[in-house]
Amino acid sequence: MTADLLVATTLIGLAAAAAGAAAPERLRTPLVSALTAAACGCGLAMALGVLSSGRAAVVHTGRLLPLGGLSLALDRFGALFVAVSAVVAVCAMVFRLGYDGHGLSSRTASCVLPLFVTALLLVPAAANVTTFLFVWELMAVSSLLLVLVDHRRRPEVAVAGQWYAVMTQLGAAALLAGLVLLATHAGSQSFAAITARSAGLPAWVRSLAFVLAVVGFGSKAGMVPLHVWLPRAHPEAPGPVSALMSAAMVNLGIYGIVRVGDGLLGGGPAWWWLLVMGLGALSALFGSLHAATSTDLKRLLAYSTTDNMGLVLLGVGVSGLFASTGHPSLALVALVAALLHVVFHAVFKGSLFLSAGAIQQATGTRDLDRLGGLLQRLPVTGSLFLVGAGAIAALPPLCGFVSEWLLLQALLHGLPSSDPWLAIVLPVGVGVLALTGGLTALTFVKAAGIGLLGQPRGAPAAEASEVRPSMWVGGGVLATLCLVLGVAPLLVLPSVLEAARTVTGSQLPDPLVRGWQFGLLGARGALAPGLLAIGLLVAVVLVAGTRWALQRAAVRRTEAWGCGRELQTARMQYTATSFGEPLTRVFEDVLTPAHDLDVSHVAESRYYVEAATFHTSLDDAFERHGYRHAASGLAWWGGVARRVPNGSVHRYLAFGLVALVVVLVVLG
Amino acid sequence: MTSTYATALTLAAGAVLICAVVVLWVRSVRSVLAVVATQGVALGCVAMTLGLHVGDAGLVATAGVELAVKGIAIPMLIGRAAGDAPDRERRPLVNVPASLVASAALIVVAFAAARGVATFVGATGGGLVPVGVATLLVGFLVLVSRRRPVFQVVGLLLVDNGVALVAFLCTAGVPFLIELGVSLDALLGVVVLMVLAQRLRSEFGDLDLDELRELHD
Repeated sequence: MTADLLVATTLIGLAAAAAGAAAPERLRTPLVSALTAAACGCGLAMALGVLSSGRAAVVHTGRLLPLGGLSLALDRFGALFVAVSAVVAVCAMVFRLGYDGHGLSSRTASCVLPLFVTALLLVPAAANVTTFLFVWELMAVSSLLLVLVDHRRRPEVAVAGQWYAVMTQLGAAALLAGLVLLATHAGSQSFAAITARSAGLPAWVRSLAFVLAVVGFGSKAGMVPLHVWLPRAHPEAPGPVSALMSAAMVNLGIYGIVRVGDGLLGGGPAWWWLLVMGLGALSALFGSLHAATSTDLKRLLAYSTTDNMGLVLLGVGVSGLFASTGHPSLALVALVAALLHVVFHAVFKGSLFLSAGAIQQATGTRDLDRLGGLLQRLPVTGSLFLVGAGAIAALPPLCGFVSEWLLLQALLHGLPSSDPWLAIVLPVGVGVLALTGGLTALTFVKAAGIGLLGQPRGAPAAEASEVRPSMWVGGGVLATLCLVLGVAPLLVLPSVLEAARTVTGSQLPDPLVRGWQFGLLGARGALAPGLLAIGLLVAVVLVAGTRWALQRAAVRRTEAWGCGRELQTARMQYTATSFGEPLTRVFEDVLTPAHDLDVSHVAESRYYVEAATFHTSLDDAFERHGYRHAASGLAWWGGVARRVPNGSVHRYLAFGLVALVVVLVVLG
Repeated sequence: MTSTYATALTLAAGAVLICAVVVLWVRSVRSVLAVVATQGVALGCVAMTLGLHVGDAGLVATAGVELAVKGIAIPMLIGRAAGDAPDRERRPLVNVPASLVASAALIVVAFAAARGVATFVGATGGGLVPVGVATLLVGFLVLVSRRRPVFQVVGLLLVDNGVALVAFLCTAGVPFLIELGVSLDALLGVVVLMVLAQRLRSEFGDLDLDELRELHD
């Protein structure tokens, strides 16, 4: 049954791509969206079937792909990711009906978008190395094409595409090397066989394969220092595509690391997981810091993706560390927390990116410094953005709170530990989580406060009008899910738990208490999100009611002079830049802002300023110090290499002779 | 009988290699053509000796073709095509003593590398395989180190002769038809190269292959 659905998902996805290539322009967008959404529906049904029954959906054929054929097997762990991708993709498809611009309705884009979605649904189902690499590359290449759809009109899109292409291919090369290494030493390329035989492999093979997997999958997940493509490519992609990339594609990086580390290799030494934790903590801090100081709405969201994936990696790393130091129960809790955060991040980041796409369509800009007052002009879109912002800032009763709470619990309950590694690392993890949480809250106070409240800071914001309803529906479903899952996380928690058990092969009893509340087995922490929501509601009603009652009774007090409020203009408000400025100062060493102040004076007297322009820009430290040096080194090497073949026939012949002699000496 | 055969074979093969080294030594076009003709004859002798020893009429016919094409036709063609052009290699890229030393080194490499093949083939013929490989490498060295188009063509011929020698020794003669085809290919190649060289000379005047560097992007 589920296998049939797997085949149906693939076929409908391919049919959607064919429709995108062949359909006439008028029918193209609705037809492609409907077919793609149907494929996602099949995918969702299949994933739910697998999650509830526990029986894997298996499709195997010796043909279609070389070396071992096409082999798909969706277990519960993969099904979790398929379900997340399917939900996000359906919402993105509905949103897309109303989204015009960015050339997303062109023939190429209409053909490639269903391919991208289908690849997203198939990656977690791949069950051998060839199939996996094939669908992985299909996903990478199709998303690259989707990023590039608007490259004719905006040159920065081409630059973003170049960064993305290079980073994704480097990552794919690392994956190819790692998986081929595993397959060669295990003697088979099927994932099941590798899982069975990996314990007997030499330690260096296992470690090298794991590190290569972390590099390859980490670059897809936006892990620092391989994240540089993400804050460029995600903002430049069209709205629905950036939602798909940020809410569904990056998850597959996490999928890969957990699949290889916990699944194929069955866990490993502590240093593997310390590496993952370290990179995760770095990503979380760096991402949240840049998000807090960024003034471009979608770039801010992209950096916040790096931040959240960092938190997930932190959880995955802690889980592996617990497992390797003999705390299997806590390991499961940490992994569940990480996976739960993947699910919730997909929901709120999808909602945020779709709302940001709607805001961009309504105003024509992503620059927060030119927005403002949008909650009045775009009440629905603005409210949806607010819900997403609340969820990502981990405000109860929205969903972000639950996963971050669980992650924090996992970290805290490992603390009274005799293991020196845990005793050192866990407090650092708690600190990172706390600092990241604070910075994220600041980020979204800025995004919502500057973008949605206040007065418009420019004509685009002032003239904005509400977008089409289909775009509300797309973002609205996800925003509703933010609230529903925040109040009732037990809707998804058992599935996440089963997924974590499937991939680790853990036979432990359920460490999370069911019923109204959930918590950790044998520990004191427990959370009842439903009660919390009711409590909050009661508190809000009480406070508002009291204020209302008091205000009616009391004399209204207000300022005597109003402090010149009569004269207030939009330019007197805080901007995104000025809001983030204190933070920029505190972290000046990391952010190294470049200021450019240009003052021109009145011709008659230098005491009077005619005009002053101020410009500030923040560079990505890794990009400036790491990648630019690497790129210039490569360019130098290329220049040297180009001098070697100088056009002399004799030199070319000499190359031949030397090569021949070397071959003879080596082989002889 | 066997020892006469072995001596004759060794002598002829040795002559092929010596001619290749002598090509590095001489500078005038006329003498180099004489050396190449001698080498073609020596190669024909190798084939002839093998053919007579095995008693294979096809191989003897092949030897006749070798003698005719490489001993007579090709050197004559090159001589006529080169005509009255300035006919000395004045400034080789690698001077004569250095190229002789290099050729010695290449011969050592060839002997070291082809030992495996020699033991694999066995018998008298096998022991001489390194000579063929050495001829090939020396031919390559001529290609690399000489500027004149005539010498380039000669280097190509040396490479071809080395390959042919290895082929004769390893397989006790290639089928007649194939050898005919290969020889005709070499002939055609020489003709094309000489025509090209003449056209270049009429276009650019006195010809040095390194001048072609100007054509590089």
